[in-house]
Amino acid sequence: MPRFLFSAVLGLALAFGAQLSLAQEKKAKKKAAAKAPAAAAAAAAPQEKAIVGDAKAAHDQKIAMCIGCHGIPGYKTAFPDVYHVPKIAGQQPAYIVAALKAYKTGERSHPSMRGISASLNDQDMADLAAYYGAPAK
Amino acid sequence: MLLAFTAVHAKGNAKSGQELTKAKACVACHGEQGNKPSAPDQPVLAGQHYDYLVRALSDYKNGRRNNPIMKGFAGQLSKQEIEDLAAWFSSQKSALHDQR
Repeated sequence: MPRFLFSAVLGLALAFGAQLSLAQEKKAKKKAAAKAPAAAAAAAAPQEKAIVGDAKAAHDQKIAMCIGCHGIPGYKTAFPDVYHVPKIAGQQPAYIVAALKAYKTGERSHPSMRGISASLNDQDMADLAAYYGAPAK
Repeated sequence: MLLAFTAVHAKGNAKSGQELTKAKACVACHGEQGNKPSAPDQPVLAGQHYDYLVRALSDYKNGRRNNPIMKGFAGQLSKQEIEDLAAWFSSQKSALHDQR
C-alpha cells in the first residue's frame, strides 16, 4: 500500500512537472524581443526570461494596492470568509510571482486579488516580488 | 437547532502538528519548521497566520485552490490534522513579517 501511494505521489509530481515545462515552452514562444539575460534569478519566476525585479520601483510606485491589506498587522478578509490576510513580506519571491499569476489567470480565486493582479504586468510582479520577497536560506 | 459558530474554535495542537509534518511528508518540500522550501516557487509556511494556513490547506483539500501536488497531500488530512499542522507552522520562526 505504501509503495502504491509513493508511486501515485511521484506520478502526480511528474505530471505536474511535465505540465509546468509545457507551460514554460508556450510562454517562451510567445515572448517577442528578449531582453538581456537577468542575473537576479531570485526576483524572477523560473520560466521568465530576463525580467529583473526592481524593489525601488515597487516601493515608489506599485505597493499602494498591497499595503492596504497586507501592510496592516492583523488585517482580515471580509465576511463571510474571515481569515487573516497572509503575510507576504519575507516570502519567497518566486512564490509571490506565482501567486499573483494564479490570481490573474483565475486559477486561484479571490475577488480583490483577481482585480489587483489583473492590473499588474510581469515586470510589476517581479518588482513587487523583489520588494516584498526574501529568498529562504 | 445548532448555533453555527464561524469563529475559530479550539486551535490545533502544535506538538501533534510537528509529528504530522513528518508523517504527512510536509518536511519533504517545506522543511520541518516550514522555513526551508525545496524550490524557489514553494512558499515559506513558518510564521504565517494560523487561520490562513487552515484556509489554504482546506482549499487544497476541497479543490477551491487548484494544485495537483498539494491536493494529494492535503486530501489525506482530516480537519483536526489541518488545524494541528497550521498551529505548528504558524508558531515557527521565519522571515515572514508584516511590512508596508
